[in-house]
Amino acid sequence: MTVPIISLERVSRVYDMGRVAVPALDDVSLGVQPGEFVAIVGPSGSGKSTMMNILGCLDRPTQGAYRLAGAAVAKLDDDGLARLRSRSIGFVFQSYNLLPRTTALENVAAPLLYQGVGRAERVRRARAALERLGLGDRVDHEPTELSGGQQQRVAVARALVTDPALILADEPTGNLDSHAGAEVISLLRELHGAGRTIVLITHDPDVASSADRQVHLLDGRIAA
Amino acid sequence: MSALELFRLALSRLRTSRLRAALTMLGVIIGVASVVALVGVGQGTTSNITTSLASLGTNLLTVSPTTQDSDGSTSLSRNDADAIGELASVAGVAPEASTSLTVHAGDESTDTTIVGTTAEYATVRAYDVWQGTFLTDVSVDHELRVAVLGASTAETLELDADDLGTEISIGGIPFTLIGILQPKGGASFQDPDDQVVVPIGTVQKYFVGGDSVRSIGISVEPTADMTATNAEITALLRDRHELAAADDPDFDIFDQTQLLDAASSISGTLTLLLGGIASISLVVGGIGIMNIMLVSVRERTREIGIRKAIGARGRDILAQFLVEALTLSLLGGLIGIAVGLGVSALIGQIAGWGFAFDPSTLVAAVLFSLLVGVVFGVWPARQAARLDPISALRYE
Ligand SMILES: Nc1ncnc2c1ncn2[C@@H]1O[C@H](COP(=O)(O)OP(=O)(O)OP(=O)(O)O)[C@@H](O)[C@H]1O
Ligand SMILES: [Mg+2]
Repeated sequence: MTVPIISLERVSRVYDMGRVAVPALDDVSLGVQPGEFVAIVGPSGSGKSTMMNILGCLDRPTQGAYRLAGAAVAKLDDDGLARLRSRSIGFVFQSYNLLPRTTALENVAAPLLYQGVGRAERVRRARAALERLGLGDRVDHEPTELSGGQQQRVAVARALVTDPALILADEPTGNLDSHAGAEVISLLRELHGAGRTIVLITHDPDVASSADRQVHLLDGRIAA
Repeated sequence: MSALELFRLALSRLRTSRLRAALTMLGVIIGVASVVALVGVGQGTTSNITTSLASLGTNLLTVSPTTQDSDGSTSLSRNDADAIGELASVAGVAPEASTSLTVHAGDESTDTTIVGTTAEYATVRAYDVWQGTFLTDVSVDHELRVAVLGASTAETLELDADDLGTEISIGGIPFTLIGILQPKGGASFQDPDDQVVVPIGTVQKYFVGGDSVRSIGISVEPTADMTATNAEITALLRDRHELAAADDPDFDIFDQTQLLDAASSISGTLTLLLGGIASISLVVGGIGIMNIMLVSVRERTREIGIRKAIGARGRDILAQFLVEALTLSLLGGLIGIAVGLGVSALIGQIAGWGFAFDPSTLVAAVLFSLLVGVVFGVWPARQAARLDPISALRYE
């Protein structure tokens, strides 16, 4: 068996709220193989976003070990985490999170800026990513000039442009109608077909069913 | 990220909120403009004073009487001047007896100062001859009725090179025009080019009577010490005037260089003071930048979160916000320099000392506005860089 791209070993994340400690993740172990399409499902407050933050190297576990593509994340400092996000992870958020007053092209090109890619190369790759998602005629549009579905497709293009090992999508269909949502899901399936590892977070069983494997979270624990 | 990328990012950001950027820069613009303008005006005044004082003659001491009799005669005489001229430290001496009279030449006439003096007047008072000749020892000794005109006087009387050798009338008495002086310009109290120079004996004989003089101009040897020479002349005159040790002197020695030093030190201090006051407004401008950058960090918390999620390190965010503040202050500084130079050129034009600027002031202004950008930009930028990505992303 190959090295798992994601390996959580007995990971906990406890929010220290002063008098009480909130265990948002409680002793979770999970492995994801390269090329898998995994859905993490669970009701509101079950710890899905907490998990996504840890998987995305935005947050650190309070206990347990997280290895991303074999590398121990705990050993890295903030700059190290940033470098890991830059190279290995593409995010798609529920609320799109595009840079405001910035064109679709510049938005998609932004992750490449932090990899030190030159301007001409950035524009070329961003344009290619947008064209691949059928947005070739929207490159100069700012987020406010795009529909929700289009904005989310720009966000997917931005997640793709660095060619990351892992794409993390937290409720990517949450703000979209069923048609636009289905479009985004089929996009993710397509990327999966092209060999990418995708972790999709959702509370919608229909959406989750498009994944190869479902992981159920309940009160910060993985349910059987 | 390269500096160019950062600058491009900052410019595109400032373009999206032009009015805010302009208003933020205004403080720095006003600060830099007033520093540049005030320093420019200060330097203009200083060089104006310096050149007009220097045009009166270098190494110049002027002896004038402190008392005057009712008939206009004074305690100073040509013999005093001759005695001073014997001193080793004195290069030239020019006694002056002057009066005001009407001068006629053809149909033109003007009221001007008639200065009776000797041939050394030209060197002592730093005049050059433009046309013809100056007074000579011969013309002075023989008390000839010859006249040398100042440039302004010649112009008023419409006289030039062609008129040398012709006759003009001074106070009704005919004189031969033998020369016209180069203009000095840069008038401070009195136009130095409006005068008629004639032999001193001639003035005494025809106009003022007696043999006393109004003042004695002394040019000190360049190698000699002004203060020592001053003391030497004082002792000599006290002795000649038979003053007792307790008596007040009946003359006064005016030292040109002391005035020059005093004037340039006053205007130098003034320039510093004005520049200092103006730099306070630059600091106020810097605080304006800091204020806007802090607001901006708050408003753009989510943007910062997004940038961190897609791979920006803390120092990338720090650099982005710092370069934004620097761009504001530098642009403000450059606009301020342009405005300041414009204002000081305008003032120089009006005041008549022309336009001179010191490149080091401009370099200092640029560096100072960059410093303002760094000092007041670094704190907001650190705030931005330190934001936690998760809470920044969740920020509404
Ligand atoms: N910053 C925080 N400080 C304290 N508690 C937190 C924080 N973030 C999350 N929690 C708590 O952790 C638990 C899990 O939250 P999380 O956001 O992971 O849920 P979720 O599964 O993503 O829910 P939803 O579907 O509503 O987005 C919740 O009980 C929440 O109150
Ligand atoms: Mg959530």
